[in-house]
Amino acid sequence: MSEIEARKGATSRTARLDAVFAALADPTRRAIIERLSRSEARVTDVAKPFHMSLNAVSKHIRVLEASGVVERHKKGRDHILSINTRSLDEVDGWIERTRRYWEERLDAMERVLRELKKDHTLGPKDRKHGSR
Amino acid sequence: MVRGDTTGEIVQVRRRVKAGAEQIFDLWTKPDLMVRWMSPYPGAVDCKASCDLRPGGHFSLVMSSAEASREVSGTYVQVDRPRKLVFTWIGPLTNNVNTLVTVELNPRGDETELVLTHERLPTSAIREGHTMGWGNILDHLADVASQ
Repeated sequence: MSEIEARKGATSRTARLDAVFAALADPTRRAIIERLSRSEARVTDVAKPFHMSLNAVSKHIRVLEASGVVERHKKGRDHILSINTRSLDEVDGWIERTRRYWEERLDAMERVLRELKKDHTLGPKDRKHGSR
Repeated sequence: MVRGDTTGEIVQVRRRVKAGAEQIFDLWTKPDLMVRWMSPYPGAVDCKASCDLRPGGHFSLVMSSAEASREVSGTYVQVDRPRKLVFTWIGPLTNNVNTLVTVELNPRGDETELVLTHERLPTSAIREGHTMGWGNILDHLADVASQ
């Protein structure tokens, strides 16, 4: 764990979430995560099934590491990659965002209800379409 | 209801609203009313809504400003005016992953208790990049809805 540096941009939760989502947005990176969700693996083994250079795969792995989704440790001479499930659980921030989203939407809904009540007391009983 | 492995994260919001359930239900399902409060983007945003209010019917809310256009859309799973509305929901908030929203309206005298439940797939399923669990949830709900 201590091998993982505190990365810039990963300080705020939102930034970290964005990094996780960005990491998950790419099909190659999702495939890497899928592979690692079965078991940890050496970098070279992870790279093998992809029709791209080790260098290209390494770039994807670095993005995953920077996002905190994937961790790397050394076993002898091998670099072993594994999934940091905690980082994926961090996506839990979704709960907070979603709650805030709906609280705000419901505030707006209640504002419209008050407007409608006003319209109703001012205007005729039947709702006219096209009125704002 | 949905339980066990297929259950992902759930957000629940409750609110006492000073209005009847019918009126609130209309706010959620009539395009001319939906556009007045559903868009989260302040300022000069052109908001258009459309919906086909029946199980399996589609709805969408398109919000466009000078710079960008965003869409929230989904499919109705259960339509039980004025007590319950269940729909799938996909948009920027959900990172364009399908989620499920249930709105329940319980009359409390002159007021209505609104209970909103927003669920999404477990992180593990998102990680694995497939939606099998989600398909099961939808199948289950489709069964419930058709009863």
